[in-house]
Amino acid sequence: MLNEKYRPKKLEDYLGQKTSLETFVNWINNWKPGKAILFHGPPGIGKTSLVYAFSNQNNIEIIETNASDLRSSKELKNKISDSVSLISLKKKGKIFLFDEIDGLSGYEDKGGVKEMINIIETAKYPIVLIANDPYNKKLVSIRNKVEMIGFKKLNVWDIIKRLQFITDAEKAFIDKEYIREIAKKSKGDLRSAINDLEILYKAKNIDSKHIPHLGLREREISIFEVLREIFKTESIRMARDSIGNVNKTPDEIFWWIENNISKEYEKSEEIAKAFEMLSRADIFKRRIWRRQNWKLLSYFIDLMTGGVAVSKENVYKKFTKYQYPENIMILGRSKSKRFIEKEAMNKMKEELHCSIRKIKWEFLPYLKIIAQNEETKNNIVKYFSFNDKEKKILEYN
Amino acid sequence: MNLEIWAEKYRPQKLSEVINQRHVIERVSAFIKDKNFPHMMFTGPAGTGKTTTALAIAKELYGKNWKTNVLELNASDERGIDVIRNRVKEFARSGAPIGFSFRTIILDEADALTQDAQQALRRMMENHSKTSRFIIICNWSSKIIEPIQSRCAVFRFRSLFDEDIKSYIKRISDKEKLKLTNGAIDLIIELTNGDLRKVSNLLQSSAILNLNIDENIIYDSSSKARPNDIRDMIKFALSKNFDESRKILQYLILKQGLSGNDIISEIHKQIYNFDISEELKIKLIDKCGEFDFRINEGSNELLQLEALLAQFLLFSKE
Repeated sequence: MLNEKYRPKKLEDYLGQKTSLETFVNWINNWKPGKAILFHGPPGIGKTSLVYAFSNQNNIEIIETNASDLRSSKELKNKISDSVSLISLKKKGKIFLFDEIDGLSGYEDKGGVKEMINIIETAKYPIVLIANDPYNKKLVSIRNKVEMIGFKKLNVWDIIKRLQFITDAEKAFIDKEYIREIAKKSKGDLRSAINDLEILYKAKNIDSKHIPHLGLREREISIFEVLREIFKTESIRMARDSIGNVNKTPDEIFWWIENNISKEYEKSEEIAKAFEMLSRADIFKRRIWRRQNWKLLSYFIDLMTGGVAVSKENVYKKFTKYQYPENIMILGRSKSKRFIEKEAMNKMKEELHCSIRKIKWEFLPYLKIIAQNEETKNNIVKYFSFNDKEKKILEYN
Repeated sequence: MNLEIWAEKYRPQKLSEVINQRHVIERVSAFIKDKNFPHMMFTGPAGTGKTTTALAIAKELYGKNWKTNVLELNASDERGIDVIRNRVKEFARSGAPIGFSFRTIILDEADALTQDAQQALRRMMENHSKTSRFIIICNWSSKIIEPIQSRCAVFRFRSLFDEDIKSYIKRISDKEKLKLTNGAIDLIIELTNGDLRKVSNLLQSSAILNLNIDENIIYDSSSKARPNDIRDMIKFALSKNFDESRKILQYLILKQGLSGNDIISEIHKQIYNFDISEELKIKLIDKCGEFDFRINEGSNELLQLEALLAQFLLFSKE
């Protein structure tokens, strides 16, 4: 396997992630018990390799678990306690590496997240966690306990450089044009580029016809990559295709895009245009829904992806921190509250002989003032026979 | 004594107490003497006594146990005509009460019904006319399809005069021992637009602050009840601050639970008061109208309003 063979052995061989590397080295040199760090970013860009390169250079032992291990709380405990008690003769220190933690399964790895937090808090050695998508729901509680380093996709020149280095070392003669092609196809994933190279190299009779068949991995990508793709491309087709491999419905993706337009785009014209596209898309959505006309879905998707993509004047060459849709967050948080308010308003409606809409606009704003007085508040509560939860509707939030 | 909501406490219980709708009251009172009336439709501005009159009819007709013989429905709350149909059906099933030839269904805010729903309503009025009477209440009779109008005796409620509002204020202030300055009374009239529901709410929330009420107190409670959220939201958009503007909108819709339709009418109203050229105002109003339309054509009102605010960015004053 070329990938294993050419994993960087020293930090100076380590490619392209200069900021991440410096942050990490700095972090580990100042490490104190109970601290952990989380590497995150797309696959194949050197997250695990960084830990190996560092450990190798400094003669440190790595205690690793990854998705292929069972990671229930019991298994984790055993693994850690074994390794803590065994003192390595040759190595100077240890690093605990928990790879692929977004792959923790809820069932088989029961209690795994909780145990990890426990391990982090009591750790006598530095802990490195690795995940593709740090915003995965499972990782909420871990995220608060650790520092984070984001890894970017590698740029195409770094990949070409590395592929060239490998072919030279292997004394394989592969046309530069093919190498460039492989690098481009990899979309910043060096591991997949090296795998492709290996296939070409083994096939011996290399022909440009093979290249199109390489590198077309159907990989599931994170929503963040989708957003990056949409916001950074100028092609409708690219924008549209970007949503094919993400595990979210078009409707969810819609709100992810919506929430991040003004984070990516800076000019008023661009924001106005992009929202105009979403407004049109939303109208198509209603038509689809009303007439069950799924044929129209295609227009909905084009407008929300391609439409937003072409709303910019130029591609912003900045890193945007895309965020979880606020409206979904707010609605999720306030679900039970809204239910209680509805109940309260149904009671008010009976007494006040008007619609809920009128209660919201005409009564509640005044009742909140009237309820500032504790005594009158109690009277209102009695009047509408509100229970303890329902009476909160009289408070300002 | 138990505190009540003044809007209810001072709601006229008898037809004779209803303020300045004499032309309606005289005719309706005649119906009650006969213990019989046709389907009726009450139209007119908010807070002028339509619901009050309907309830007073029910109370005078059926007496103490009026509630068992009346079904109150509010079209703006019932999702779709099916719910209304089922409730009417169930209510009408038990037939007319002893001593009366019908029960009464009050359908409030009927403007909210779609055309399809109104067609269904028309059927219901026919099917249940032997045992039930409808009182249909709306702000605009033009929003009600003709066949329904033609099945009803239509009564138009007038906007109230300043004198009417003054006498209503006096009714309350005498009972509650409030002292109001003339300036306060004028300000109430200005702020409430002839809507007695608003008058009583404004008075009650002012009285909590002080029983001697002057303009400042009225102003305080009114601005506390109507914070300038929507005004601020437009302001932010016009100064190109989309994120702040959007935040207010999300707050209004997602946390306050206000409807997109209400918000856009409020935006429309607010535009008149802005310190911008008349030409710019009309452009904003045009956009407003476009998105008012889209709110009803689209699937998500939050999104449509965001798109409207995004359009406002382009009209910034700079």
